[in-house]
Amino acid sequence: MTLIPPPKAMSDDELRSEVRAWLKDNWKGLPVSQDQWTSSPERRAWMEKVVDARWAVNRWPVEWFGRGLSDPQAKIVEEEFRAARALGAGLDKSQLYAITALAFGTDVMKNHVLKGILTGNVNMCLLYSEPGAGSDLAGVRTRAVRDGDDFVVNGQKVWTSGAMTADYGMLIARTDWDVPKHNGISFFFLPMKQKGVEVRPLRQVTDESHFNEVFFTDARVPAEFLLGGLNNGWRVLQTALAYERSVMGDGARGPRRGDDKASTDMIALAREAGKLNDPLVRQDLAKVLSYRKLNALNNARAKADLATGTSSPIMSLGKLAMSRILHEEARLRTTLLGAGSMLEGDAHPRADDANFLALNAYFTSIGGGTDQIQRNIIGERVLGLPKEPEVDRTIPFKDVRAG
Amino acid sequence: MSTITAEDRAAMTESVRRLLANQNTEADVRRTMETPQGYDDALWAKLVELGVTGLTIPTDYDGLGGGPVELERIMEEAGAALLSAPLFSGAMAAALIEASGDTAAMQRLLPGIAGGRTATVAFTGDAGTWTEDGVGVSAHAHGNHWALDGVASYVQHGANADLIIVVAKTHDGFALFEVSQGAEGLTAEVLPTFDHTQRLAKLSFAHVDATKLGTAGWEAVERMRDVALVGLAGEQAGGARRVLEFTTQYAKQRIQFGRAIGSFQAIKHMAADLLMESESAISAARAAAAALAENAADKDAAVALAAFACADAFSKVTADAVQMHGGIAFTWAHPAHLYLRRARADAQLFGAASMYRERYLKALGA
Repeated sequence: MTLIPPPKAMSDDELRSEVRAWLKDNWKGLPVSQDQWTSSPERRAWMEKVVDARWAVNRWPVEWFGRGLSDPQAKIVEEEFRAARALGAGLDKSQLYAITALAFGTDVMKNHVLKGILTGNVNMCLLYSEPGAGSDLAGVRTRAVRDGDDFVVNGQKVWTSGAMTADYGMLIARTDWDVPKHNGISFFFLPMKQKGVEVRPLRQVTDESHFNEVFFTDARVPAEFLLGGLNNGWRVLQTALAYERSVMGDGARGPRRGDDKASTDMIALAREAGKLNDPLVRQDLAKVLSYRKLNALNNARAKADLATGTSSPIMSLGKLAMSRILHEEARLRTTLLGAGSMLEGDAHPRADDANFLALNAYFTSIGGGTDQIQRNIIGERVLGLPKEPEVDRTIPFKDVRAG
Repeated sequence: MSTITAEDRAAMTESVRRLLANQNTEADVRRTMETPQGYDDALWAKLVELGVTGLTIPTDYDGLGGGPVELERIMEEAGAALLSAPLFSGAMAAALIEASGDTAAMQRLLPGIAGGRTATVAFTGDAGTWTEDGVGVSAHAHGNHWALDGVASYVQHGANADLIIVVAKTHDGFALFEVSQGAEGLTAEVLPTFDHTQRLAKLSFAHVDATKLGTAGWEAVERMRDVALVGLAGEQAGGARRVLEFTTQYAKQRIQFGRAIGSFQAIKHMAADLLMESESAISAARAAAAALAENAADKDAAVALAAFACADAFSKVTADAVQMHGGIAFTWAHPAHLYLRRARADAQLFGAASMYRERYLKALGA
């Protein structure tokens, strides 16, 4: 299958009937995928079709799989895909790896990876955080040094989801140590399948391994895979970070053991624990239930505000709200179980749920920016409070204290 | 059911906001709160002129035909400006008269309230529980006449309001009665209030002649109370938002250790948490108003949630705001304590948050 030639300009009605006819001929549904990190062969084959037919990234230029459509016309295509329950349109709004590559990549790199990212044949991961650069991401110390047509990378990344299966990683690395920290960072698409890259699963507090550590020992990345130019990585990162934050918003998981009503419904759980008549528990329960409801009401109001064109300060509150919800629900579950919460294993699914949720709540309150960083963002960007003075903002990075 | 469009609602909210910004400044609030009457006649006349006194009264009875949604919005403004006026008590009285189903009474009383006749509701006794067993007035029939005996307390503007709708026990359940201020046998004792902008009175009834409204009982009181809770939630949410605004403003201007205190995370993080509180309160209050207006299936839960969430939020925001200001907010001259007082009072009016948390759970089927 090959990319169709750029189509001629169409009226809204012509476009709508063309996409509708195409979907009618081609979309037959997809089996449900079991794998979290890679897409199924069926899905990849389908995406290949969508990309070749230029429906995946309608707003993009014709040189790069697009149709150069206006936003209203692109929305017509997306509407038709939604109506048919078909996947794959609108990646120009949602596929941040591809968006980042298109916006900042060289033609050589785009030719190499762009189609694969869109079709799912190329898997990606994020190489941002380091043991010494968590909240302070601009403090990365993984170094990339120019060597002929390549850069040579040494250092360590952490909290990398999907590193085992990734073909490329979006990497930020230090390329200049003599300038202030934000000015000496570069952004690369680093090939993951090479000798100099070692991926080790990280055992989490929940005893799961969703994340990895990634070690670079003289790993090589072609200079053509530098995005946005040398030492301009911080700016590229701002675009790409939006992706990680949006993923975090969906990151909250429910209980992993129980699959009955009482495993998700706190009232049912309290009833099962025989504590639904305890007045103190009832007060606690009402309060904890209200957190989730209030967050839903806030989100609904933010959505309604957006629909009327008013930007809403509430959008920024969701992640912080979710942290409170998850920690408080887990606390109440533990209270309801009492002594039973000291146990674990197959015979004690309620305890497993409560204990898992209590620990996994940190996934949301630390991951993607800690609650404390989130409060800084709300304070500064929403309420307009001044930033904390930063002692390392203007001095050469090599002189910045680390530890 | 409201007959007011979204544009009209926005315009009305804006004109009330402007009126209060001009005629209910902090200086006005402080002046008014020292008067026995507790509200400003000139401002009241303006509110009447804007039609706000008839906000929730049907157009058939000379009102604006609004509902809970409009009341909630206007109460946000009232809370933000710390308004003291018998506006809210009048809306409650109107709601109770409507809930009585007595069309003759509506004809007789509602146009008056819309036109600025002050009114209130007396529905709890000395215990201040705002529940059925807290009613302290009994009514006895003497032929066609009814006489009231007993005590009603925590009555808003109870010593001044011209019209008082009294909830009383009869031999046959609860009933609603109309009493005029100054009626023979009625004694109004002004209660000293911690919130100086609030006016509460204890009314003692000794064989007071009263007119019975329709045949409605406690269910009418509950309908009125839902409206009142939505209005109060709006006041709390609007108050919380305003307090956070001026506290944030202060944190940008106040310099210590050579920088604005708002740059310190100790202050910034408190502000972020308070934004969550005040915005959640706005969401809860507005959702409850909408649920009530639409008579939605989940309206009991929505109203109960707003009742405790907004009370808790206003209390938290005003309390933390004093702390964030530091010493300046420990002075009488600073407005923070006026809001703190209002928040503490509002959190008890119509029952404490714990009562509504319990009611919330019951509404959720627990």
